[in-house]
Amino acid sequence: MTATASAANQPQASALSANRSFILRGIMLAVIVGAFMSLGNVNIGAIGQGLGYALAGVTVFMTFRVLGFVDLTVDGAFPIGGAACAILIVNGHSPEYAMLMGFVAGALTGMATALIDIIFKIEGLLASIIVITAAYTVTLHVMEGKSNIPLLGQETLISRHSKAFRTWLVEQFGDQMRRQSTNLLEIILFGFIVFIVLGILYWFLRSEIGLAIRATGKNPQMVRATGLNHNLMIIIGLMTANGLAGVAGSLVVQQFGFADVSLGFGLIVRGLAAVIIGEVLLRPRSVGQLLIAAVTGMLVFDISRAWIFSALDLPTTDIQFVSALVVLAALGAPRLYDRWKTYQQRLGG
Amino acid sequence: MLSLDQVSVTFNAGTVNEVRALRDISLLVEQGEFVTVIGSNGAGKSTLFNVISGAVQPDSGHINLDGEDMTYWPEYRRSHDIGRVFQDPRLGTCPGLTIRENLSLAAIHGRSAGLRRDVKKGEEAWFFEQLERQHLGLEHRLDADVALLSGGQRQAITLVMATLTKPKLLLLDEHTAALDPNAAEQVILLTQQLAEANDLCVVMITHSMQQACDLGDRVIMMNRGRIEFEIAGEERRNLKPADLIDRFHSLQDGTELSDAQLLS
Repeated sequence: MTATASAANQPQASALSANRSFILRGIMLAVIVGAFMSLGNVNIGAIGQGLGYALAGVTVFMTFRVLGFVDLTVDGAFPIGGAACAILIVNGHSPEYAMLMGFVAGALTGMATALIDIIFKIEGLLASIIVITAAYTVTLHVMEGKSNIPLLGQETLISRHSKAFRTWLVEQFGDQMRRQSTNLLEIILFGFIVFIVLGILYWFLRSEIGLAIRATGKNPQMVRATGLNHNLMIIIGLMTANGLAGVAGSLVVQQFGFADVSLGFGLIVRGLAAVIIGEVLLRPRSVGQLLIAAVTGMLVFDISRAWIFSALDLPTTDIQFVSALVVLAALGAPRLYDRWKTYQQRLGG
Repeated sequence: MLSLDQVSVTFNAGTVNEVRALRDISLLVEQGEFVTVIGSNGAGKSTLFNVISGAVQPDSGHINLDGEDMTYWPEYRRSHDIGRVFQDPRLGTCPGLTIRENLSLAAIHGRSAGLRRDVKKGEEAWFFEQLERQHLGLEHRLDADVALLSGGQRQAITLVMATLTKPKLLLLDEHTAALDPNAAEQVILLTQQLAEANDLCVVMITHSMQQACDLGDRVIMMNRGRIEFEIAGEERRNLKPADLIDRFHSLQDGTELSDAQLLS
């Protein structure tokens, strides 16, 4: 009797402790990164930028980890989403509407990849490269033939509140805060949006469709045997994922103050790095934890990159090289560590 | 009731690798009937299952289930009415998801997935009851990751999942072949239990002559894409594994001889 009772309680207890250790790891990471930033003199703008890109990290998490689909479409969905958002803002639409359309544009890009994969049986990697290539032209067309659209003087999510926020900040904390006002506003606004989007995504992944999508990535044969259309799950999954890339593009466009056709360059590598950094540092287990880890990974990526820039005093032209180095470190370090550990064990044995 | 009407399947048609996996197979399985299928490797047993479940399209012939022609239905649509358990215990359940999530997925069976919560409060008692009947203690581990379970446990859960929403037909593809004798016995017991409780059409492939004699109402022997013989009624009730092995060998010798003749 007692044996059954303890067996019944065990999973719940382990789930609770798993949650607690995840939160502990998160707090520890926040303290370390915070100390790092103040000691290394990293501008808090890096956090805002990380939050802007965070949803693109979630895209990569959704495609690679949830759907088990090697999908590079994020490189195309991101600039298309940004372009759609920018052109709508320039044409006088509200930033919220523009961002919603950014989502739709990204989702359609994801749908293109899914349909190529399903109809022509071309594997995801190749299908998404085809879509990225085509997406470049589509982005140019969305931007009415221009390769760059400035948002100067337009009403964006940030510019709408920036004046009022700056006045309030200076009133409350004094004039030295004036310089950081835009950065702080970005962190608050983007943090809020990312939080809301993660909440909706969590709810979605915990629905029946979400469950079927999660199962599709792990065992498509079983999903078919359960009477669910696994192709439909791939379509819905890729649309949701790349829609998020479109939202990220919309956020970054408003942050930078311009949309550019080459905005998505190298984004897939960055997203992968975010997912892996998050997994290594936070060791997430459940769906919710995995989502938080992907966002955290993107933040850590941007902060460490900003730190390298300020520490080495590099010009901004070197940005892609430094990105590649950070990604290499994120991917390579866990593997090197594993090899070192087995080497040590062999020495010990 | 399942009926196959002159179904043929050919792989790599027109090439040197042409294989006629099924040749004009006609088969009728009545409501509540339990049929075991035996035959050597390459006899067409798995192709028979694949063509029924829709993983493989027939070149000719028709497949009916309860009077509905489903020859041209896609695999997932047929799965609304067909429960399947595979030889590989890893294929039937989804690792990375909990037992509860796997069962919830199976409970969607037969309708389309919506935006309702994946794990519903009301289903808990139902799942508990289904698993409790197996006496494996899995009902207390609903939140355990399926990847942590043994092959036998996973196969038992797959069986429950396959019959959860009472399909019209249950296909068992050597579903105890990868299990140790103890687990295999457990799963066979569970199979009988579920088949009787739900009054299902069951078709089971097996390589165990003992199982073929112990289980079901009819034995079908397949050879080179054809149904070589059927044993039913009185003869089936008195059937012993040794008889079956004898008949199996007589066929095998025949094929070996013809192979040898072909090569000489």
